[in-house]
Amino acid sequence: MTIVIQPATPPLAPTKSGETVDPVYRQIRDLVYKVSGIYKAEEKLYLLADGCGRRMKQLGARNPREYWDQLTAQPGRDGELRQLLNEITIGETCLFRSQPQLDALRKVILPEIVAEKTKQITKTLRIWSAGCSTGEESYTLAMNMLEENERLLKGWTVEILATDLNDRSIETAKAGIYGDYALRSTTDYFKRKYFSTVDEKRLEVRPDVKKLITFSRLNLQDDSKMLFMKGMDLVFCCNVLIYFDGASKTKVINHFFSNLNFGGYFFLGTSESLMKLNDQFHLVHFPGTIAYWKPSLKSGKL
Amino acid sequence: MTASVAATIRERVQHIETMPAIPAVFLPLMKLLGNSAQEVKLDEVVRLVSYDNTIAAQCLRVAGSPLFGLAKPPESIKAAVLTLGLRRVETILLTCSLGQAFPAKQWVLDAAVFWRHSLGCAMVCRKFSEKLATADGEKAYMAGLLHDIGFMVNCLVFPKEFATAMERACQEEIPLDEAEQATMGFTHCETGRALADKWKLADDIVEVIAHHHAIAQGQKAQPLVALVHLSDLLCRMRDLGYGYYERHKVDLIADPAWSILLKEHRDLEGVDLVRFTFELDEAVEEIHALVSTVFGASPTRTM
Repeated sequence: MTIVIQPATPPLAPTKSGETVDPVYRQIRDLVYKVSGIYKAEEKLYLLADGCGRRMKQLGARNPREYWDQLTAQPGRDGELRQLLNEITIGETCLFRSQPQLDALRKVILPEIVAEKTKQITKTLRIWSAGCSTGEESYTLAMNMLEENERLLKGWTVEILATDLNDRSIETAKAGIYGDYALRSTTDYFKRKYFSTVDEKRLEVRPDVKKLITFSRLNLQDDSKMLFMKGMDLVFCCNVLIYFDGASKTKVINHFFSNLNFGGYFFLGTSESLMKLNDQFHLVHFPGTIAYWKPSLKSGKL
Repeated sequence: MTASVAATIRERVQHIETMPAIPAVFLPLMKLLGNSAQEVKLDEVVRLVSYDNTIAAQCLRVAGSPLFGLAKPPESIKAAVLTLGLRRVETILLTCSLGQAFPAKQWVLDAAVFWRHSLGCAMVCRKFSEKLATADGEKAYMAGLLHDIGFMVNCLVFPKEFATAMERACQEEIPLDEAEQATMGFTHCETGRALADKWKLADDIVEVIAHHHAIAQGQKAQPLVALVHLSDLLCRMRDLGYGYYERHKVDLIADPAWSILLKEHRDLEGVDLVRFTFELDEAVEEIHALVSTVFGASPTRTM
């Protein structure tokens, strides 16, 4: 007997509760990736479905197919996509959001940059959190750099620049006060060492962490200001470019490339892709995380 | 490696009595499944598997595990193929049959960790091939599955030396082949080759086993060796490595293997490597679950 067997198709993506997800969400996933560079993996499709669910409720869409039509039809298309992006990235702001990213930073990248710059007279490390929102990422970076103070970064000055378009976010960031939700991935070790208690529910970042960071307002699309951001070793821009159209995205990424020193690194959000918008950066993999590298002059890979 | 070291390895692998024979069903099964992905003689698969009761039973147990969410466990291999799809059953069968060749007590390396990486690499090789119009996905799958069999040889033939290498790799967070070279003076590539010769595996698979860490040496099957090399690196960066943190930066596109693959497959240029990486993550959970079902509880994840 010869049976023709079709290649196994993946089963419907299960939701957390074990139900299956409507296949239209895969279409939405692909659209979201194409437009923003955010990729929701199969096992995270339920998060996308949850986000769509909240939007559907708001809009009164009765089923995912109807929502798909609203997401793809003019005139409301761009606005709706933006709303959806807000929904699906909302949970991503917390301290210590990506441990693999921090491991790569401390175990591979810092030793590399320190070795590269060690001949220079001023031992300064410059980090830029572009689109810092309410400061979670900036403080996470600052605390991790302080951890290296007595080792790799002994005798180094660390400067962290944190910028955002939104004045209110910057005020919140400066205050450095966070509740349980933002601190859900912060270990007791870091809580004890770098925070003081505000009240039962909130902790405040200590002054020695705060003083590493300069918060200021900046529009990433302001070319004249972007030209002045020089000498960066690391740039972090998490879930910000997803809202930009293709041309603006390319422009901002090119700015980041020139803002970085040779041998510097550019990080996006954990499920975000640069989608080949720049061919000068090298895509590099570290355990559990990816980054974009501006090759050093020595490497001969420019 | 000097000629005398190579001769010693060959000698020990050829004559050692504990060296496993290739599982009887493995090669015929691989040949059957590799011929054409679209049309497989189901009855022959069933017949082959039924030769070995242990494998058949284990396959059914895995197929009936909660991992695949079937309402009731399949009663026969045929039913398993029809409900789970050929590819899943293929993975289960190959793992069970190869896993049987190496008794669990002899592992220096955790068996589950080894199989996670081998199956992970096989899966990545196939997915990678699917992005390239003229690549042979089934061949790539087999190459990925077998590329590291040298580690099994090390466990059996050089257990002490290999344990030292493994310890050094974990401690210094360096790639395992570098640690092998530093402590033993040879790697799993050489020992794997000796087993592959003994098992009389196909020439291109032998090349993959022997050269996946040094592609330039690969002669005829360079693109296949390159594909396995890249998939191996990707696995180790995406939670399908050897169970410890590798302090390692991987630039796949700048890797010589990328250019070799590109020469053979021009459409590699159009592959979105970031999206590909994210897509692989989707399969990682399934592989972890599958391997823990076959080999018992999975050790702690590294990421």
